[in-house]
Amino acid sequence: MVQQAAPPHGHMHDYEAHVQAVEEDLEYYRVKRFEPRVLYCHRRGLITLYDVLRAAAALPPPAPPDTAAGLEQRIRALEDGLDAYVRGNALASVDVGGAKMVIEDTRTERGDYDPAFRIAKKAHGGTLAERVAQLEADLRDYMRLQDAFLQALVARGALDADRLAAARTTAPAPSPWNGARIVARAWVDPEFKRQLLEKGREAVRELDIPPGRLGKMGVAENTDAVHNVVVCTLCSCYPYDLLGDTPWWYKHDSYKQQIVRDPRGTLATMFGLQLPEHMELRVHDSTSDIRWMVIPRRPAGTEGWSEEELARLVTQESLIGVAEPLAQPPAGAAPAPRANRLTDGR
Amino acid sequence: MTEQSTRPRFGVGSRVRVKMENREGNPRTPQYVRGKTGVVSQVHGVIYNPIDHRGSYPPLYSVVFAVGEVFGGPSADKLSVDLHEEWLEPA
Repeated sequence: MVQQAAPPHGHMHDYEAHVQAVEEDLEYYRVKRFEPRVLYCHRRGLITLYDVLRAAAALPPPAPPDTAAGLEQRIRALEDGLDAYVRGNALASVDVGGAKMVIEDTRTERGDYDPAFRIAKKAHGGTLAERVAQLEADLRDYMRLQDAFLQALVARGALDADRLAAARTTAPAPSPWNGARIVARAWVDPEFKRQLLEKGREAVRELDIPPGRLGKMGVAENTDAVHNVVVCTLCSCYPYDLLGDTPWWYKHDSYKQQIVRDPRGTLATMFGLQLPEHMELRVHDSTSDIRWMVIPRRPAGTEGWSEEELARLVTQESLIGVAEPLAQPPAGAAPAPRANRLTDGR
Repeated sequence: MTEQSTRPRFGVGSRVRVKMENREGNPRTPQYVRGKTGVVSQVHGVIYNPIDHRGSYPPLYSVVFAVGEVFGGPSADKLSVDLHEEWLEPA
């Protein structure tokens, strides 16, 4: 998990990390996003599984993967396919009997509160090439089922065909860059920081960042005395509508279970972050209506830097509290996040 | 929701114990804090959050627990867990 991500548009240096991220994310979005919606609609009589089967029979056959392409190209295609899958899930939130589907419904359907209802994830193994081939096959299957499900909803009149066609195009995504700008402003402007700590997301309008509307945003400030870390042990809550989606490890049980049991040890072993012994470590478990972000400590030697320069030191990891900000801005242009996996509820 | 249930019953510094079982309460109360005692660090009041759930719950608090007390062991680190009032009783 340390240094797992390549720059958004740079050369892909670490195939293993990219493939592992797709494996984790794809299963996450199937088990936590897509299938609970199918179950939700099925349990309430909006569709039957036969409706899905009928819709699947009417779909055109899927295009075969380009196996002649190089590994890097195939991995990028998987990442793009994953984004399309995630966008499709957002379309599958429909009202049943006049009642709006809320995030709590998804959590209940997928068994967050009852192990008897939990949907199992798939295990992965083999060589990198085998895993890529497996992911291509999985993604093709999952997309096909998603298409069939969406078409079944259209056939039942639960979903508008025009809306479905229009929604495959994406709006600008919230991203960790929003968080970086918020933190940089908080570092240079004490009044903004006070407002942010007090009001949360309302304060970010000042930066022309859409504040989102998922409950309340809690802001925890790191100081020389206290270091804050965020987790959501029950699912993976995060102010994603404002700060962009979280890395795959944030949704992984190994992080969720270990960070609450041994916070200091987990930061050291998983993320290579050693905290001074005298520093209090506080883990915020996002168990309810507040989604937390961290204001990391401003690095020493950055006096007089511009907000833009400061923002480039703020990584997604530092917004969660598992890393300090960078000491120097990364090489290359300012970030332009690639993925939009953010239109869907957690 | 009645007037009484929206007025927070605990304040910052209150020692509270989390109930073991509460079928009517918000299911988002982790197993690991049930029966444990912590200290209220923030009072958030009733939060309107229609994207997450249909109704609203009683007032919400951030409650700080010691990792060592919750899981045992030598850790001096802290856990801050957001809990609704219907799960809490004075300790």
